[in-house]
Amino acid sequence: MSFVSSIVNGLKAWNPLKVPVRFRYHSEKIAKGPTIRRYGFDDNILQKGPLPKVDPSYKKLPMPEYRPKDAWSTKRALFGQNDYIDILGNDKLHPTKTLYNLPSWVRGVSGNEFQMLIRKKKIFHHRAYPINRPTKWNELNKRIIYLYKFMNRHTRTGFSKQ
Amino acid sequence: MLCSNLLKSNLKQLSNCLKSYSNVAAVEGQKHYLKPRQVWIENLDTIDEKKLGLIDLHPDVFAANPRIDIIHQNVRWQSLYRYVSFAHTKVRSEVRGGGRKPWPQKGMGKSRHSSIRSPMWRGGGIIHGPRSPTSHFYMLPFYTRVLGLTSTLSVKLAQDDLHIVKNLDIPTEESSFMQELVKSRNWGPSVLFVDEVDIMPRNITVATDEIKHMNLMPAYSLNVHSMLKYDTLVMTEAAVNRVISKLLEALNRNDGNAAMEKFKLDQV
Repeated sequence: MSFVSSIVNGLKAWNPLKVPVRFRYHSEKIAKGPTIRRYGFDDNILQKGPLPKVDPSYKKLPMPEYRPKDAWSTKRALFGQNDYIDILGNDKLHPTKTLYNLPSWVRGVSGNEFQMLIRKKKIFHHRAYPINRPTKWNELNKRIIYLYKFMNRHTRTGFSKQ
Repeated sequence: MLCSNLLKSNLKQLSNCLKSYSNVAAVEGQKHYLKPRQVWIENLDTIDEKKLGLIDLHPDVFAANPRIDIIHQNVRWQSLYRYVSFAHTKVRSEVRGGGRKPWPQKGMGKSRHSSIRSPMWRGGGIIHGPRSPTSHFYMLPFYTRVLGLTSTLSVKLAQDDLHIVKNLDIPTEESSFMQELVKSRNWGPSVLFVDEVDIMPRNITVATDEIKHMNLMPAYSLNVHSMLKYDTLVMTEAAVNRVISKLLEALNRNDGNAAMEKFKLDQV
């Protein structure tokens, strides 16, 4: 009974001539502009406009002076000079034989560090290197032992050639 | 008929060089389907150019299909095969010190360490750093290099960057003569002069000595990188004939299989 009377009271309060409305026309809402959200929030990051002027006494970050390389120095102008000497000159002279400025065990060979060290040891073990440079020789041997263990026990060795 | 005229100048040299490749002259004479490329022979005596004659260039050398990828491979090979990196870092066993255990294993409240040169430490060894000397050597197959040369020569001819002169004789030692000559003939700022042998006439040697971007080379020094670096290639008649005969020798050799075997250092 009580809920029926409350409904009737509600119905009596509802007046169809007084309706809550946010805007009469949508264009009025648009004309007002966007609704302000987060009122009072101050965005410190510059989104537009010119950059602020910095005090010249501020230290600039260091950058090295640009020095262009001389493209026509003798080395660069004559680069690759005799690389085709076995085709255009003497058949017997291979370009690997002209690598005068390289260490002797490096001429015309390539390989990983282990292979290069083994080659170096093979070439120098009966010469003066172990006597003249004992520390370096010891380091070479230690490195070979370490690399043997690392390459053969901790990395893939590829297919066997048997 | 065209080709017999074409090879008159080259056949003599060819037959001299190719005693074991006697089939080359016979084969080259049969190639009626290839037209030789004709080029003017110019002079270097005066600033204005004079045409002194015509020369036939063998199409296998100067009319090859320009393979840009092969040219790239050749340039890359030239840059890398001699390059050795000497960058080096010390490993923990090589860094000075670090043999003693810095503090006992337990009881200190510090983390446990066995050496002050382990890679975790400041000033410690580098684990997988560069190790000198690291060589980047490799060899291109023989015929790839030959094809690189023929492609580049063909490109130079096709792009009007190749000029053939009688010889490298110039009247004065002045470098200004060379500058004016090159400028008036629109030969491009950088010029590479190629002669047959490495002993050049005195005047041109002195004139080009001061100019960094004009250089002299013998025929055996010709290479893909230099031909691309210099805008203009100026070859003497003798140099051109030498280069053609050498490249034809390379293209027509009997023992190509031997040349294409894997490169072995001890067998070179």
